[in-house]
Amino acid sequence: MRHFIRILFIFLAVLPLAACDRPAEDPGPAVTYSVYRHSMDGAPTSTDPAQASHIYANFLAVNLYDTLYRYKYLARPYQLEPNLAEGLPQVSADGLIYTIRIKPGVHFIDDPAFPDGKGRVVRAEDFVYSIKRHFDPKTRAQGAWLWQGKIVGLDSWKENGSNYDQEIPGLKALDDRTLQIQLIKPFPQLTHTLAQGFSAIVSREAVDYYGPEFPIRPVGSGPYRLVSFNSASAVLVRNERFREEPFSLEAEGYDPVSHGHLALDRLEGRVPPFSDRIEIEFITEDAARWNAFLAGELDFVKVPVSQFDQVLQQREPPALKPAFAEKYNLLANLESGFVHTDFNMDDPRIGYHPDPRQNARNQALRCAIIKAFDWQKRNEVFYYGIGQVFAGIIPPAAPEFDQKQDQAAIIRDLAGARKLLGDNDWSADNLPVLEYGFSSSVTERQMFEQFRSFMGEMGYPPEKIRPLTFATYGDYARAFLNREVMLITTGWTMDYPDAENTVQLFYGPNSSPGSNSANYNNPEFNRLYRSSSGMQASDMRTAMYRHMNQLVIDDCATISGISRRLILLWSRKLAALPDRSFVGGYFFRFASVDAAEPESRGAGQ
Amino acid sequence: MSFRNRPWQRLRTDKAGLTGLVIVTAFFLLAAAVWAGFLGESWSEAGGGRWESAGAQHWFGTNVLGQDIFLRSVYSVRTAFEIGLVVSVLSTVIGAVLGAAAGWYSNTWVDGTIQWMKGVLDSIPFYLFVAAVAFALQGVYWAMHIAMIATFWTTTGRLVRAEVLKIKSQEFVLAARAIGLPGPLILIRHVLPNTAHILLIQSSMVFVAAIKAEVVLSFLGLGVQDGVSWGLMLAESTQEILAGHFNNFLSASLMLFILLLGFNLLADALQDAFDPRQAAL
Repeated sequence: MRHFIRILFIFLAVLPLAACDRPAEDPGPAVTYSVYRHSMDGAPTSTDPAQASHIYANFLAVNLYDTLYRYKYLARPYQLEPNLAEGLPQVSADGLIYTIRIKPGVHFIDDPAFPDGKGRVVRAEDFVYSIKRHFDPKTRAQGAWLWQGKIVGLDSWKENGSNYDQEIPGLKALDDRTLQIQLIKPFPQLTHTLAQGFSAIVSREAVDYYGPEFPIRPVGSGPYRLVSFNSASAVLVRNERFREEPFSLEAEGYDPVSHGHLALDRLEGRVPPFSDRIEIEFITEDAARWNAFLAGELDFVKVPVSQFDQVLQQREPPALKPAFAEKYNLLANLESGFVHTDFNMDDPRIGYHPDPRQNARNQALRCAIIKAFDWQKRNEVFYYGIGQVFAGIIPPAAPEFDQKQDQAAIIRDLAGARKLLGDNDWSADNLPVLEYGFSSSVTERQMFEQFRSFMGEMGYPPEKIRPLTFATYGDYARAFLNREVMLITTGWTMDYPDAENTVQLFYGPNSSPGSNSANYNNPEFNRLYRSSSGMQASDMRTAMYRHMNQLVIDDCATISGISRRLILLWSRKLAALPDRSFVGGYFFRFASVDAAEPESRGAGQ
Repeated sequence: MSFRNRPWQRLRTDKAGLTGLVIVTAFFLLAAAVWAGFLGESWSEAGGGRWESAGAQHWFGTNVLGQDIFLRSVYSVRTAFEIGLVVSVLSTVIGAVLGAAAGWYSNTWVDGTIQWMKGVLDSIPFYLFVAAVAFALQGVYWAMHIAMIATFWTTTGRLVRAEVLKIKSQEFVLAARAIGLPGPLILIRHVLPNTAHILLIQSSMVFVAAIKAEVVLSFLGLGVQDGVSWGLMLAESTQEILAGHFNNFLSASLMLFILLLGFNLLADALQDAFDPRQAAL
């Protein structure tokens, strides 16, 4: 009996444990989960395409929303590719009417903004609405300049109160899938503007439903949808309803010589987006970003200039040290833009002057300053000597860049500078006080001090070169847009690969508060710009651009320029070409990371 | 030995205090040499190579622009003294005047108004307030000075008010009143001089606080705009340390450390020397 009781006791004790056990289940195929961890050196404050005025916001806009066009992933020079559009636009013979068909069956993501929470089909009318938003003062949009004065009836729609129920003659949805844009005058760059985050397509329901929260509640039809977003990070996950378009190396411009080492061939035929989840860390502090990358917490980084020495084995062409080359891929592209210092031509102390003699003296002074500027040293100190210095306002990234451009404007000539000053009766006593504007950052201050040092070597009294500092770039921009800054150092990132986008920076009618912060106003230049801006790409148009470039150089309106070279590194387990030029961010859908088990990559978060 | 000489006697026997005095005097001489144009004039010239090591030509090496770090460090002494002196003198004067007025006219609207002003200013976090004023007055050379003076006078004012409250009930003040001397005259001639020890100690402390605040503000880009300071050098060094260049960081922080150490030793010694409890021993 005692034995029986003991057995019964053991049985009862084991019973609950046995109840926890279940028959083994078939685990099925291994579920993998790929996470791409991207880093940015700045942070967007909004996901709204209407606010996509910089590369950081643009990254989010083009991944959360759809644009009609994008650029081919790998083809260089950049080539437009239909995205939501079915094909390239049909353009009327006079270049004024663009007709675009959009793909059928594309849906917005499911969201409470829609009836029953089900995302509806994207319609042509959504594009019309999205562009109208830029012209609605309530949106406080930043992209209206792209289409201002170009589309029939769009500007007057704004003047008439931005009534969304009012039709615009030049911007119409002919049916659910057909768009028609009518231009006031030919604008060959229109299609490029439709590949930018600004032109991304939003739904009216979502804008109305979320109201002021819309910038952080994106409801798009792009390859990803947003999970979380704050000033430190953004998390995107795959849009399961994104249209299925198999990846084709050939269609994206694959070149085995240039891209063979990127392991992209394994992606052929697969359907993007390739990553299940994208974690973007906004880390403005160079040291923190770099250390996180080295610690393996990030798959991609823009290398801080201070680390170039540690990373690069050689400068030209840039190559990695073996220890880095083993683990990382390198992209050392010139930026699609340039940095330049403009003279405020509206300031009679240095720019245009009603007295012809003084006007000529001012021009001589500007030319002397340009001659005294040491581009080689600027490049060496701030860009590790691997930026590309070029003369004028057409940077190397523009297809119209002239390799044979005269280099005199970027070669230091101190003797020539002093002679120019002397010949025009400039002396240390009568030289004007130069006010050099910048936003208060360490690098900007160092650039100012270097400028002052360059001028000091020419004989310009250092006490006559003064800093005009501003707490933020916004304050600085406000000041130079109000024409209050004498010397304006700024950068320009091209919106599309066409030199029209940079020569417009010196077109007279674009003077401040427009994009022409130099307030340059040369009638010959203006005439050429007006003639060329409506022309399709051609040798003749290129020649006109280059002539305009020479006019700016001859007038000594700007100290220009340099295109910085960005050193981008990414893990070898990431199959991608993370090029951030032009409309950066489209590559997200093609970024493929070796997949891992969900548990190990934080999939449960 | 007279009563007035006793604090100085005590100060002379305080070794730490004397060390502080020597350090402060040495830095003051450096600042004077820069003011006189004997030293540091070429602090902004970029004559050297990028990040040169310390050597005979550049004692502390050079920064990314090729500027001499030693010259910049030395020129920054002038910046520190200029701000320290201006802020400590003016905030002490304002604190003394308003504190004395509040104490003399205690429990009147004068006292109430001054106390309210102090309360309002003290309720705002210091760096937030200084940054806001410096930001609002951007482009004004004296913006940072004004911001600091506007906040640093309150402590001095509070201490002086308490001292005046104590002094005004003492017999010599009552006697002055009894013979018919007007109040303001008693305050200026007989009461305020008796707060001198507080003003001396407090001004030395404000001096230190002003230098520290300047470094922080310059580091944040809100301080010195045209010139150089240890704060700007430290800000520069944040980019250089990552690349393994420490000269800017070490020279600026060491200079700042030594000067502040000197001032702290001196201020402590002054406090001990003028402490009535010490006098009673």
